[in-house]
Amino acid sequence: MIRPALALLLVTVPAWAQAPSAAKSAKDAQDLRGIWQAKGNAYRNLEAERGVIVDPASGKIPYRAEARSLADRNFQARTTADPLLVCFQPGVPRATLLPEPFQIFQHQDRVVIVYQHVHAYRVIFTDGRPHYDDGIEFYMGDSRGRWEGNTLVVDATNFKPENWLDAAGHFHSNKLHVVERYTRTAPEVMRYEATMEDPEVFQRPWTIRVQLALHSEPNFQLIEHECDRDAQGVYRHPPQFLK
Amino acid sequence: MRPALLLIAAVCVSAQSAFTPPRLPDGHPDFGGIWMAATLSAAFNVEEHAASYGTPAGPSVIVDPPGGKLPYLPGMRERAVDNDQHRERDPVGQCHMHGVPRVMFPPFPLEIVQDGNYVVILTETEHGVRIIPTDGRPFLKNYSSWNGDSRGRWDGDTLVVDVRGLNGKGWLDQAGNFVGAGARVVERFRLTAKDILEYEATVENPSVFSRPFTVRVPLRRRPADVELLEYGCIEGERDAGHLPPVNAPLNGGQR
Repeated sequence: MIRPALALLLVTVPAWAQAPSAAKSAKDAQDLRGIWQAKGNAYRNLEAERGVIVDPASGKIPYRAEARSLADRNFQARTTADPLLVCFQPGVPRATLLPEPFQIFQHQDRVVIVYQHVHAYRVIFTDGRPHYDDGIEFYMGDSRGRWEGNTLVVDATNFKPENWLDAAGHFHSNKLHVVERYTRTAPEVMRYEATMEDPEVFQRPWTIRVQLALHSEPNFQLIEHECDRDAQGVYRHPPQFLK
Repeated sequence: MRPALLLIAAVCVSAQSAFTPPRLPDGHPDFGGIWMAATLSAAFNVEEHAASYGTPAGPSVIVDPPGGKLPYLPGMRERAVDNDQHRERDPVGQCHMHGVPRVMFPPFPLEIVQDGNYVVILTETEHGVRIIPTDGRPFLKNYSSWNGDSRGRWDGDTLVVDVRGLNGKGWLDQAGNFVGAGARVVERFRLTAKDILEYEATVENPSVFSRPFTVRVPLRRRPADVELLEYGCIEGERDAGHLPPVNAPLNGGQR
């Protein structure tokens, strides 16, 4: 059954339709499996890390005026107000940027991403099923994917408004719409792009780009990131986090 | 009794061998899908239990030892009873992951994804994760966590998972039955029908139990359009202690 369906796809997707063998190589290229981790320090402050914000060219988040002052207030309060400190799931795209690995699995009609950070996960259907209705909100959003050549494009909506985009207090509302693009550019390198659109907070969409590196160490595996509160009510993360 | 038992055994064996599981291209059975314990009884109490406040009655899921009772060492059952009186201590109430084997029979769905040398189990509740490599790699050293460190292997059409590295703080159910430090678990997953995944776990924990014991819980496949939803339990939650005591009348506690 799979072969005829692929052949049909070839007819409708010109980019793949070079030759019969292109189908196999294109399918093979749709392989993001592995344990990945962002290079650099974008997780600290998207604006402060050179080259992370690729659009607009200024490298600044195009906040609406009143939103910029709220981001500034968040920054001042960041050592206590960051939702990550109190064990919230990190949201998108922040989950990708954290200094912790995540693992991508693929199976038939879905891509599963398991983040080491507070064992958050996303099940991303690639079979065309629609998003949840408006008004249903998730920390990690609702993600639906599709393949454009060998790029996985993930459309994420339905976010809760509490999360931050980085440790510096950059933020969004529940109108956030993220389009992520995962492209394996070499066996151990992936390009990750995310475009954020949120008319309540931003004047226009803006885009970040970060390189991801494959963990190719033998037997490397995710470990459990337990976020907990001690007897004094202080939240505790494992020592490898928040360094 | 003997002939009848033999007959039942024979029927069971033939029923098992008659079912051929769907297979992945690599030849292993396809466990992929959304599953949920066919009986929620185990989540409440793995032993036989009468109905009580917040808990419907249910049978034991312990198939060994015979009699269906946990083989606690002297003094340990008292700890379980004390836990039952202090359910605010339940790690799951504090939004920690369940630990093994409890993680396989919560009253919420879970998803199994197989991808090459991995079997991944995602639980809706506590957004729990188990990543089970089946490539024969060694266990982590000096590891301690709620869901432990799992290594899988295929025994015919049965997935056998060895679990070590459990933190010894997990409960077995909501009734306060528990495992302690040094627990090891061997799990067996097997499709016995298209929509039934039989789950068995043998727990060996000499610091708490006088002998190993085995629970068996069938998981039932959920319809194909079911998706896991995000479970917004923030790890470190401590508010359960503010709820009324377990046996309090509905209007008797402070909310």
